[in-house]
Amino acid sequence: MGQFWKHPNAKAAPNGTWMQEIGQVSDAQLVTSIARYSEVALAEVYRRHGGAVYGLARRVLHNAAEAEDITQEIFLRLWNQPDRFDPGRGSLRAFLLAQSHARAVDAVRSLNSRRLREAKDAQRTASADYDMQHEVWDLALADQVARALGVLPEEERQVIEMAYFGGHTYVDVASLLDQPEGTVKSRIRNGLRRMRAVLVESGIQGVDA
Amino acid sequence: MMTHEEASELIGAFALHAVEPSEVEQMEQHLEQCPRCRAELDSHREVAAAIGNSVEPLPEGLWTSIANRLPERKDADRPPMPKLRLKHLGGAAPNSASRRRRRPDRRPRPAGSRLAAVGALAVAAAAAAAVLGINLVRTDDQVARLQRAMGTAGPTAVEAALNAPGHHMVSLEGAGHKRLAKFVLVPDGRGYLVTSALPGLPNSRTYQLWAIVGGQPISIGLLGQSPYQSTFTLDGHPAPTKLAITVEPAGGSVVPTSPLVASGTV
Repeated sequence: MGQFWKHPNAKAAPNGTWMQEIGQVSDAQLVTSIARYSEVALAEVYRRHGGAVYGLARRVLHNAAEAEDITQEIFLRLWNQPDRFDPGRGSLRAFLLAQSHARAVDAVRSLNSRRLREAKDAQRTASADYDMQHEVWDLALADQVARALGVLPEEERQVIEMAYFGGHTYVDVASLLDQPEGTVKSRIRNGLRRMRAVLVESGIQGVDA
Repeated sequence: MMTHEEASELIGAFALHAVEPSEVEQMEQHLEQCPRCRAELDSHREVAAAIGNSVEPLPEGLWTSIANRLPERKDADRPPMPKLRLKHLGGAAPNSASRRRRRPDRRPRPAGSRLAAVGALAVAAAAAAAVLGINLVRTDDQVARLQRAMGTAGPTAVEAALNAPGHHMVSLEGAGHKRLAKFVLVPDGRGYLVTSALPGLPNSRTYQLWAIVGGQPISIGLLGQSPYQSTFTLDGHPAPTKLAITVEPAGGSVVPTSPLVASGTV
């Protein structure tokens, strides 16, 4: 008997040649299949976007174990509540990364607030935060981010980096940089708009592979 | 209540999860009623995803941990696979698949409404089928309806197919070259199950028929627990190289999830 695709062992790591078939299915179709409890579809979404979900959580948290926990949580949530994804509002990658980022930022803030309580020294904590922020740029990833953000004026790039990768609120960023909150808010927004324009111009709309 | 101007100022920071906790709820309330801000938020989130988009190698075992934590589903909880659109074989039924954009209801529906409940998955399946050029016809428990649509009785249609010029037979064999099912295909693209030696399955399982087109398995339809009649069409589109049968959960699967129990070259 002919075996012309590999048996997709749903519990195994989601790779293998059979994925070439499911690989042609759109993200939105996969989520629809997940709504019907298709583990195969979830495995494929994990294969496509798991690395990005994990990568972002890890970059914000600087902690592989916590990033793994968040990745698990994000995919279990997708399994349990697939209808939260609305393909009309953007790509699946952006949807998953927004959740990964939100969870990572929550974790960082709770960590920071714990440090704050323990240290009882606001100044020391602020500098610890700032050091952590700078650690990001010691990583090899910094290059990649810098390239993506390189189109921005320095003052816009800085506030976006601090908010997005440092997990700081705009109020924290304003305080750390000693700038008015309104300035930080508008720099974030203008920076995002500027990047959008550049991304669109370079033909990168959305982040779907 | 936050004004639109206030929300606009905050929207970039909100997209980066960088607003104060006290502002989150107000932002969400505003977003619910402001399509313009929602659109801007979606746009910022795409940009944020681009900034945060570095793919790291996934840790070994992470997928297994996720898969092991998926809640077990009783088959009764599993929503039925939407039935594929009943195609009027003789007539020009409008192709309504693209207009059916409903999201699937996760709860099982009463059997009577299943045909009407063609959800997004059927749209997906239909879209995939359209891409690959196969029109699908639902089988088995809807045979009676299908027959009404065709205006023929099952055995008569099969007999007619067997007598049609240019028909050919496809035998599907399982392990040890045991012949498990035989289909007749006629040149207009229709196909019929002629005989089946497939053993009966428990209620929680169904046989599912697949066409292999360009090496890809495309669902043709569910054959049920105990296949005896089945009709499908592949009309006017690239012919499959093979037909194959797998055993799937009662609702059917989008892609094969189990090894083939039978296959045969067309």
